[in-house]
Amino acid sequence: MPDPEKRFAEEWRNAAYNCFSSGHKFCREVCPVMQVTRNESWSPTAFHANVVAMEKGELEVADVAADYVNCTGCGACELRCPNSLFTGDFYRFRTRTVDLVKAVRGLAVSQGVHQPGWQRWNLLTDERRHEPVLNGTPIEQERVRDWADGLDLPIGGETILFVDCEAAFYRTSVPRAVARILNLAGYKFGLMNEQWCCGGPAAEMGYEEQARRFAQHNLDDWRAAGVRRVLVLDPHDYITFTEDYPKYFGDAYDIEIVLVVELLAELIREGRLTPHVPVERTVTYHDPCRLSKRKGVWREPREILRAIPGVTFHDVDRVTQWSYCSGGGGGLPVEKPELTAKISEHRVGKAAELGVDTLVSACPWSERPLSEAGKARSIDVVDLHELLAESLGVAP
Amino acid sequence: MTVLLGDPVLEELRQILGTDHVLTGKADRLNRARVPAPFPVHRWAERMPDLVVLPASTEEVAEVLRLANSLRIPVVPRDGGTGLTDGAVPLRGGIVVDVKRINQIKEIDLDNRTCTAGTGINALKLNEVLARHGLIYPDDPASYPCSLVGGRIGTSGWSLIGSRYGHTRDLVLSFDHVLPTGRVIHVGDGIGRKITKSSSGYQLKHLFMGHQGTLGIATEATLKLFPKPEAEFSPFWAFEDYDTAYRAVGALARAGVATFAGAVLFDEWKVDYLRRDDEAYIPQPSSVKALVCAALYGYEDEVRAGGRRLLRIARSLGARYLGDEISEGDWAARHDRYATPLHGRTRSGQVVPMSWHCEDASINYTNLPAVRLAWHEIADRLRRESDVFDDWGMFAYTNGATGADYLTEIDIGIWEQRLDDAAWAAWVRAKRDLAAVALAHGGSISACHGSCREGEVDLVPAELGGGYDVMLDIKRAIDPNNIMNPGKYLLDQAYAEKS
Amino acid sequence: MKYRYQEEMSPPPVQRVTDVAITRFEHVFEVEPGLMTEHVTQQTFPNWDTLRLVRSRADHLAWMHRHFADKVISGEELLDDLDE
Ligand SMILES: Cc1cc2nc3c(=O)[nH]c(=O)nc-3n(C[C@H](O)[C@H](O)[C@H](O)COP(=O)(O)OP(=O)(O)OC[C@H]3O[C@@H](n4cnc5c(N)ncnc54)[C@H](O)[C@@H]3O)c2cc1C
Ligand code: SF4
Repeated sequence: MPDPEKRFAEEWRNAAYNCFSSGHKFCREVCPVMQVTRNESWSPTAFHANVVAMEKGELEVADVAADYVNCTGCGACELRCPNSLFTGDFYRFRTRTVDLVKAVRGLAVSQGVHQPGWQRWNLLTDERRHEPVLNGTPIEQERVRDWADGLDLPIGGETILFVDCEAAFYRTSVPRAVARILNLAGYKFGLMNEQWCCGGPAAEMGYEEQARRFAQHNLDDWRAAGVRRVLVLDPHDYITFTEDYPKYFGDAYDIEIVLVVELLAELIREGRLTPHVPVERTVTYHDPCRLSKRKGVWREPREILRAIPGVTFHDVDRVTQWSYCSGGGGGLPVEKPELTAKISEHRVGKAAELGVDTLVSACPWSERPLSEAGKARSIDVVDLHELLAESLGVAP
Repeated sequence: MTVLLGDPVLEELRQILGTDHVLTGKADRLNRARVPAPFPVHRWAERMPDLVVLPASTEEVAEVLRLANSLRIPVVPRDGGTGLTDGAVPLRGGIVVDVKRINQIKEIDLDNRTCTAGTGINALKLNEVLARHGLIYPDDPASYPCSLVGGRIGTSGWSLIGSRYGHTRDLVLSFDHVLPTGRVIHVGDGIGRKITKSSSGYQLKHLFMGHQGTLGIATEATLKLFPKPEAEFSPFWAFEDYDTAYRAVGALARAGVATFAGAVLFDEWKVDYLRRDDEAYIPQPSSVKALVCAALYGYEDEVRAGGRRLLRIARSLGARYLGDEISEGDWAARHDRYATPLHGRTRSGQVVPMSWHCEDASINYTNLPAVRLAWHEIADRLRRESDVFDDWGMFAYTNGATGADYLTEIDIGIWEQRLDDAAWAAWVRAKRDLAAVALAHGGSISACHGSCREGEVDLVPAELGGGYDVMLDIKRAIDPNNIMNPGKYLLDQAYAEKS
Repeated sequence: MKYRYQEEMSPPPVQRVTDVAITRFEHVFEVEPGLMTEHVTQQTFPNWDTLRLVRSRADHLAWMHRHFADKVISGEELLDDLDE
């Protein structure tokens, strides 16, 4: 076994044994991939056990790299694992399957084991500074603020809004809605001077060096412009800025990160925003994995939904939704779009059982696969920020 | 016999199942060579199957078995892979038939109160669907979130609320079963799919449950449903000594309360162990030496009436009610609380990740105190020998509504990372000793997991006596070529006798 | 929930509960850190993560009750009935 693999097995061994010596698979039925494939090789349990097998010289990363594609990074498994949910806080030691999956993907890349789709995706991202999300605005650095045309947003300032690649180039209606709402509330913010992709997707697919380079660029850009606070509308960015960047920059990381849904709920609570235009829809809410499972944010989006007049809201509680996912995360749609499609069909099927006409999400990355799946069942997929903008009467 | 890559068998299996559903990768096989029960890690690869198949229907399972039978290839059924007696672990290579893809709900019959589903389904997931109809399938093992119906059948499992609703054998009405030859039969009470009582013919349902995959594979099961309970009550009580708690649990179980779903007795080792990391017991005064809990389910008025009766009995026997917060929280945590590795401690108190091993027997009420002492002595011997072992205490759970016998469980932490050959030998010896104690006290070696692991299995012929010889005859008759899960339950003897 | 690195990395001060347990956050027990120095060492645990787990656990327990029955009966209430 090559040295880096040995070092890897040593580093992850204890964490892997913490699962290996349980092996009870409480994580399995909440895993979105397991639910549609039923293939135990792609279970969180196997992801940990493989490390033990690597340590024992039974496996090399090349044997298993392709298995680790089958994860959306939703975090359901590690939260549901009793070693997190019941004893994680007590021991300050919890199951970290998502980190492990990222680390194995990183190890694979460092050993020259690439997944073709991911390799291409990250190459293009490196070239263009943004992910090749296609379909909308062409992916070029000069076009990263095109979504804000006509909104007259300043560049720089103490508070800036960071817009993820999917929203900046594909689902541009979401950042427009957010910007208009904040303007309406009189909340001052600007745009980033030279925004690059946050680097999170590269880190998720194993391209760590690239991820760090992108992160460094963004932090330097913030520092140069005197940015103190970054508003984030995309849950994936929120994870990157509150988990990856702190890991990269440690004590030097002094930027405040604010999640837009939380900010909007606060503005509504304070009476600075009052939704008043009725929105006649029967909806259910999709808990984005990175908000609900990975960050415990589920209350504020519901608060916003309940503040919108006209909406009939059939809520499904957050714990039931731990086992729901759009399939859009962790690079899965890049490498295995058919699996993403199955997962989103499964999710939309749950919404259909409630007899709703609309599935509301708060994560741009979930909205493309969910919309695709929604078509077959005549369910609209709408972003929460856009729905709020509509009820506030602000133009798209 | 082993299957080699490039073998024509592989091609045939791919024809039957589609290429994606025949797995030959080493990781695919390693991950189906394990269950949660501890085993020396350096010997992991000894238990690898040659390949894994993921069938989607009864017919596909039947074709795989026909092929395997004609070529004498060992077959091991695997469902959730949570079994604790190594049932789903291949001892002779061959084909693992992983039935998790057979998990569709075929029918919910609201009038007869039954449901038919593939055996790859999980009860929690099923109950999420049944709840919409106000119904529940109440098979509730501690592995409720992870075990699957096929494994429940394969082990004839035990349910925490079985004193009210029965155990797997009572709750599974009938199922499609693929015999080792590939023939598909339907077994139940009589032939009916939804019949709960029949006197017609031999009672085959019991035979095809709890065989640990040695007699074939169940693929689709019809299950008995109940109204989802309106109310739940789960009081927890503290005691200053084991004897008082023991008397109390007996009185609660014998009270004959109709909504009574089960009671559990925790001994002082268990309480000590809970003080390590359980938020409910860390702050308890040191005078707390034993615990009892009970669970009641039913309509609210019934549960209130039964609850009052049990509270009165407990109070009269010196119990202290631990309050609603602990009572509710601990009961809701019943699946999750006890199998986490960081409970493990070295003798000096350092935290180490230990595998939870639950050694279970069925013991009559009157023998609980004696078995308890003998079992702790065995655990203590292990602990004195090595830091690899840790005594996590004992539970005794009612098996039924009358309080005759209890699932008696000693939990031993095993530091699997350090489990070398010597420690493993000590463990196997201890398992044999634990089983011997159960038998010496008129009990059965296992109440829920089965008894086919190294150590305990040696005593199964002694437990069953002439019945074990019948087992051998049946095995030979049903599985003429010994392809189904060979090596389990010492059943190879059936074939040695013949030749 | 505004995220600031320094705040997240500064848990409340330790209070001893027993030989083997401490608290930092109110009503949240933690292992005596000295017991995790030889074989398993503690991970970096920002405050948000501790609180997320504590709250999720409570959510999960409430869910499990609802999953098995529509309502939970209070033993304290029944004991009051007995006293009357
Ligand atoms: C944390 C934890 C708690 C547990 N608590 C309990 C408990 O309270 N009560 C209890 O009874 N058990 C308990 N168990 C043990 C285990 O969950 C049960 O034995 C369960 O029935 C196994 O189901 P499975 O789907 O995981 O089966 P597996 O482990 O996959 O298989 C079990 C056995 O059945 C055979 N088998 C699998 N599928 C089929 C099939 N379709 N047809 C025929 N045979 C088949 C296998 O070959 C094997 O011998 C617990 C386990 C854990 C990890
Ligand atoms: S990740 Fe957690 S729940 Fe899943 S098998 Fe491992 S220890 Fe069990």
